[in-house]
Amino acid sequence: MSEEFLSHEIRDKIAISYKYTMGGQSKFFIELMNNKKLLGTKCTKCGKIWMPPRINCSDCYTPANWVELKQTGTIEVSTIVWYTTSAFIKAIPYGIGFIKLDGAETALLQGIFSENLVPSKIKKGKKVRAVFNKDRVGKMTDFFFVPEDEYENWISKSEYEGGES
Amino acid sequence: MQKVAIIGIGITPFKARYLDKTYFELAYDATKLALEDANKNGADISHKNIQSTVYGIYNELFERQFMPDIFTNSYLGMNNKPGTRIATGGATGGYTVRMAYAEVASGLSDLCLCIGLEKCNDCYDEQTGVTTPEVLNAIAYSADMTYEYPMGMMAASSYVSMVNAHYEEFGNPTEEQMAYVSVKNHGNAMNNPKAQSPMKITVEDVMNSRIICYPFKMLDCCLYSEASAALILASEEKVRELKIEKPVWITGVAAANTDCFIGNREDMGRLYSNIYAAKAAYKMAGLDYNRIKSLIDLAELHDAFSGQEVISYEELGFVPFGEGGSWIEKTFEKSGEGPWIEGELPCCPSGGLIGCGHAVGATGIMSTGEAALQLRGEAGKHQVTIEKGRAISHSIGGPGAAYAAVIVMANEEGLKQT
Repeated sequence: MSEEFLSHEIRDKIAISYKYTMGGQSKFFIELMNNKKLLGTKCTKCGKIWMPPRINCSDCYTPANWVELKQTGTIEVSTIVWYTTSAFIKAIPYGIGFIKLDGAETALLQGIFSENLVPSKIKKGKKVRAVFNKDRVGKMTDFFFVPEDEYENWISKSEYEGGES
Repeated sequence: MQKVAIIGIGITPFKARYLDKTYFELAYDATKLALEDANKNGADISHKNIQSTVYGIYNELFERQFMPDIFTNSYLGMNNKPGTRIATGGATGGYTVRMAYAEVASGLSDLCLCIGLEKCNDCYDEQTGVTTPEVLNAIAYSADMTYEYPMGMMAASSYVSMVNAHYEEFGNPTEEQMAYVSVKNHGNAMNNPKAQSPMKITVEDVMNSRIICYPFKMLDCCLYSEASAALILASEEKVRELKIEKPVWITGVAAANTDCFIGNREDMGRLYSNIYAAKAAYKMAGLDYNRIKSLIDLAELHDAFSGQEVISYEELGFVPFGEGGSWIEKTFEKSGEGPWIEGELPCCPSGGLIGCGHAVGATGIMSTGEAALQLRGEAGKHQVTIEKGRAISHSIGGPGAAYAAVIVMANEEGLKQT
């Protein structure tokens, strides 16, 4: 076959809609949405605190109880994203990191917002505090973390508010 | 368990895009190459002699097809024989080799096709008019969809978290040390005709390339590729019956899944899956983890990101924890302008993912095939010196690189010494 190759491309999109249950973790999202609380779970046997929460301890195979966690924590590791997926490309640059809430043993991935988004501002060891959207829908994007010294500025903005603890 | 050998190797070129091939057409090309290679290696077989197939295909969204393995199975003429698909993120290739090994070692199959394929760049981002952001989005669905994806987590930010945590603990890898890996692997790819990104570059070029995800820069990251890679695995009995001239024996296969949530790990700067997989694979092959560097001729590593290759040196037992950065520095300076295929332990002589590209399901099978070609002395211009007759390939991937697989191989000489 010496015939010249001509390619044919078809435009398409896959889209599926969901209304998915959070099952045993539902309470975390309900408390986040209604009361601006951050709940973890504590194993009734080994005492490990899980965040993201699990209603069963994966280490002990025993139930874990809900516990309210502090809204302050420490950055364990972070990065600033400058190139990303189609879903987030309009948001660059943005900071994300793993935050260990005071009293928790595991670290939670969350957005870290800053008025001065540079690596030194969101590096390991920096204290951060949760800020909540006023308009919450019960999703992880209802809150984010800011450096503690910027907290008052962030909660004074019309679309955000502080939590209770 | 039966002994298992790689008797045929087929790797298509790794390219940004094949407009003239679908994913199953690429798989056909790799299978045909692997059969031809087996026949050059002494066999006289066709696809009709293959008893079972294990497919490594990572992502349904890339292929725009659920169960892409069954459509590939049809195109490869494998109807009415067992075919099983493996999907473990970037580690798909290594896990596929492990399962194909198990097919043969268990006696279920005497001649097994182990094939990886991926065609990512049919994804297309209409808003930017390029493929990459949509490819990254299709991958980002591998993060936890409730807790992580909505934060803008993606492959680079996942790996960079572990590399940054390692840096915080040990003070390395530095940005320059990561750049050494990029220079080495892009440079090694200059000698690999199947590589997507052969480049002669400098540390400065890497340091000046655009920032992707702090501190990873463009040239610290592999590119996504389209390709297929196939291996034909045979039992010892089949190797003898077919009179295979250069069998490459699989002497160790192991995998481990660590916690997919990086924040749940007791130490974020370590990939425990690497450590567990490496120790188990070496043990199976009768090799000492603490002496591994002196027991193998080369390692084809999973360098999706330069900094992560440096951490892998430690986890795979080449150097003690915290010394990966200084080791690449030493290797780099010693070798000058490259290619980096000599010295203490050549890593990624093929160019690795940074040099060859990353065709996810095919990658670990390409790495294993490359290591096997090295042990046959048939790697071409990037052939390393084979003295011990042993090599390893390494695959990692998934959320927070939770999956890891390590494969140990030996040629006939290496097998005698074990």
